[in-house]
Amino acid sequence: MAVTNGTQNCPDSCGTMPGCAPLAVPYVPFQQTEPKRYERMEALSEGTLFPGLNLPFHLMKNGREVARTPRTELQALAFIIQELGLYLDTHPTDAEAFALYQSYAALLEQGHKTFLEQIGPLEQTDSALDGSYTWVCSPWPWQNPQKEG
Amino acid sequence: MFSYQKTLQYPVKIANPNPRLASVIISQYGGPDGELGASMRYLSQRYAMPYPEVSALLTDIGTEELGHLEIVAAVVHQLTRKLKAEEIEQSPLAAYFVDHTTGIYPTAASGFPWSAAGMQSTGDPLADLTEDLAAEQKARITYDNILRLSDDPDVNDVIRFLREREIVHFQRFGEAVELVKSRLNQKNVYLINPAFDSKA
Repeated sequence: MAVTNGTQNCPDSCGTMPGCAPLAVPYVPFQQTEPKRYERMEALSEGTLFPGLNLPFHLMKNGREVARTPRTELQALAFIIQELGLYLDTHPTDAEAFALYQSYAALLEQGHKTFLEQIGPLEQTDSALDGSYTWVCSPWPWQNPQKEG
Repeated sequence: MFSYQKTLQYPVKIANPNPRLASVIISQYGGPDGELGASMRYLSQRYAMPYPEVSALLTDIGTEELGHLEIVAAVVHQLTRKLKAEEIEQSPLAAYFVDHTTGIYPTAASGFPWSAAGMQSTGDPLADLTEDLAAEQKARITYDNILRLSDDPDVNDVIRFLREREIVHFQRFGEAVELVKSRLNQKNVYLINPAFDSKA
């Protein structure tokens, strides 16, 4: 089915509710197609790809920029894929978003290889390419390397 | 099936241990509006969902919530590294410590252990999605309250990220409500439960 709710060129954060929506059921407007987007590292830092959905709490207005490292490069790519995936779940016919999803999926595949070379296995089977069973050697992601040695 | 990737969704690097903060943040691991309940809620609800995009959304958000569960655990773990018993004794973490030392256990900050009574899976698409909208709001305000209680920038950076995800998920669940409504009787969306009364 076509997802054609809402009109184009309407700002994300204001507007009027439809006067004739059905009563007694929740209504959240669809995010419109071709929404504004952050670049990938900013998206990870902000917690969303979409400026229109970024609604911070008054006690914590400004996010810290995530430092660019081999690990955060992968985290940023994986995050964009995850965020675009949720968008596409409810906007499956948005061709522009799907093209973006395809280009990030290719970057993520490359990022996965770089991660293996520079950090270690991301998935258990990566060990097979790594020469020995390195799955048990590389640090676990919940550890803070500076604090736990 | 599920497989594991050896990285967090968002980086967690906490410089300073803080048992007081750990004792409140554990609520987003096993509290009534925490990440364990969120993932169990969405991953359980998807089986009754008759519409494929909404099954996809419940699967994908439920999976993301498992990643958030791991992030919250990483925060608590790093906040409780290398603490001395005396430091814990003087903190609100003492009641947790007596049973769990500094292991990770799914409990609310109040000490009430994780309970499926804090979530629902009704087998009715509109009822489940309305629950999900409420769940995202409740998780958001828990993160707001953690931000009120914490002045540690390393912690707040992570909490801010998790809080923003609740807002994005709310938007997607709201869109899912519209996708469900578009398949129902347009004069009365409550005429049937499409997961039970019809195979359409």
